[in-house]
Amino acid sequence: MTVREVRSARNQAHSLPASAMRRTPAYIICSPRPRVGKTLIARLLSEFLLLQRGGAIGFDVNLKEPSLLDFLPRTTETAEIDDTFGKMALMDRLIVPDGTAKVIDLGFHAFDEFFTMTGEIGFFKEAARRGIAPMVLFVADSDRVSARGYTMLQATVPPRALITVDNEYVLRGEIPAIYRRGRQLRLPALPAFLNTYIDRTSFSFTGFLRGQTDRSSELHQWIRDAYFSFRELELSLLLQGG
Amino acid sequence: MAKPAVIVVGADKGGVGKTTVSRTVLDYFSANNVPTRAFDTESPRGTLKRFHPDITEIVDMTSTADQMKIFDTLNTAAPSVTVIDVRAGLLSPALASLRDIGFLDAAKSGQITFAVFHILGPSIASLDEIAETANFMDGARYFLVKNFINNTSFFEWDQATYNSYFHRIRDATELTIPKLNEMAFEQVEIASVPFLKFVANKGPKDEAANYSFVLRGYVRHWLANVWSEFDRIKLTDIVGKEKDKPASKSAGEK
Repeated sequence: MTVREVRSARNQAHSLPASAMRRTPAYIICSPRPRVGKTLIARLLSEFLLLQRGGAIGFDVNLKEPSLLDFLPRTTETAEIDDTFGKMALMDRLIVPDGTAKVIDLGFHAFDEFFTMTGEIGFFKEAARRGIAPMVLFVADSDRVSARGYTMLQATVPPRALITVDNEYVLRGEIPAIYRRGRQLRLPALPAFLNTYIDRTSFSFTGFLRGQTDRSSELHQWIRDAYFSFRELELSLLLQGG
Repeated sequence: MAKPAVIVVGADKGGVGKTTVSRTVLDYFSANNVPTRAFDTESPRGTLKRFHPDITEIVDMTSTADQMKIFDTLNTAAPSVTVIDVRAGLLSPALASLRDIGFLDAAKSGQITFAVFHILGPSIASLDEIAETANFMDGARYFLVKNFINNTSFFEWDQATYNSYFHRIRDATELTIPKLNEMAFEQVEIASVPFLKFVANKGPKDEAANYSFVLRGYVRHWLANVWSEFDRIKLTDIVGKEKDKPASKSAGEK
């Protein structure tokens, strides 16, 4: 993607109808399992939103794993949901329709607590009322814990807001049947050496797109594909009524 | 005119959540469009009045004048439903007074609907209270309320003992009030508004407030659970009112 293409993508975003900008997206990247790529997806998505919308806030509820805060410290805040104070600090921000996209990197240890809480406080219903568009990006794994977590989400999250992330690095191309019916977002696996490359905390996906002249490189293509998928997600907000 | 209904909420022990339960009852009736008046017997300063000032009057249940104020107006008062939040230690004496003035006989003969919400504490003394209160329950709907709101664990109870007390009273019904998040409970206390107004993010005078969405969510969820208990016992039917839909479904969505 050239600088011109980046600009054009941004212009396209800016030229979306006003209704598209009315709803404030809140992306929740989650899994009840560690090391399935949550933070990678949160990083990619945050950088995409920063590029497309000109701003996004990340919330890192993932302090027990390598986390979003390490990669995007300027746009990420830490959050805790262990006690009511922490829940208030996070959720009272999330429910504000301020037009700024939010990305939550939800650690595996906080999965049950977070979604039990959102169910109890009626988050999804209130979000719909206030013009917030929550999108739950569930990073699937083939184990029983993940299947149980997904079933739990199906009971509390509206189907349009629940997206299964098929991370090829985790599922090896075989997505279990339980996830096949709902919405999906596919993330191809990167070769190991490129994983090491993007795992550097100083690495920026958008920076790479801007700086790299060779558009045919594997990483370039991979980032563009991921951004394209996210753009589809953003567009789906339009179809859901702005 | 509708048959008057009196609901007494009480316990002989303090701090078991009588006023909290009274508040949920008032909110429930409000949500179901049942006009209600309330009496707070914590004279001279009442907690219930702080939350529901427009419909609550503070009375001294031991004074004849105030007893007249409550019971002589049952047939004439516009709201046919009366909720009485009885001060700690006053439940048995209050019931004895009601017997003495012939109120219990009127309830027995069907002229008045009478229900008692007996809030149970964790101590074994609560079980003795049941036995004592049971003597007055002929003609009344008797509800034994296990209140978990202040994290009560009914640790002193042996279930068999409880059952033996419970079964002594014909038609006694058990109710459970679940626990509410402490911080949410505290914030409603500070706001001094009915639970319903807190959920609707409104201040005492219906002005817009700025309560935490999370805490409001906890209160809404809790209130819906409490109201589903009231739906279960058909509380609006008991007081002789029709009900459109389960109140628990619409907790806070007014």
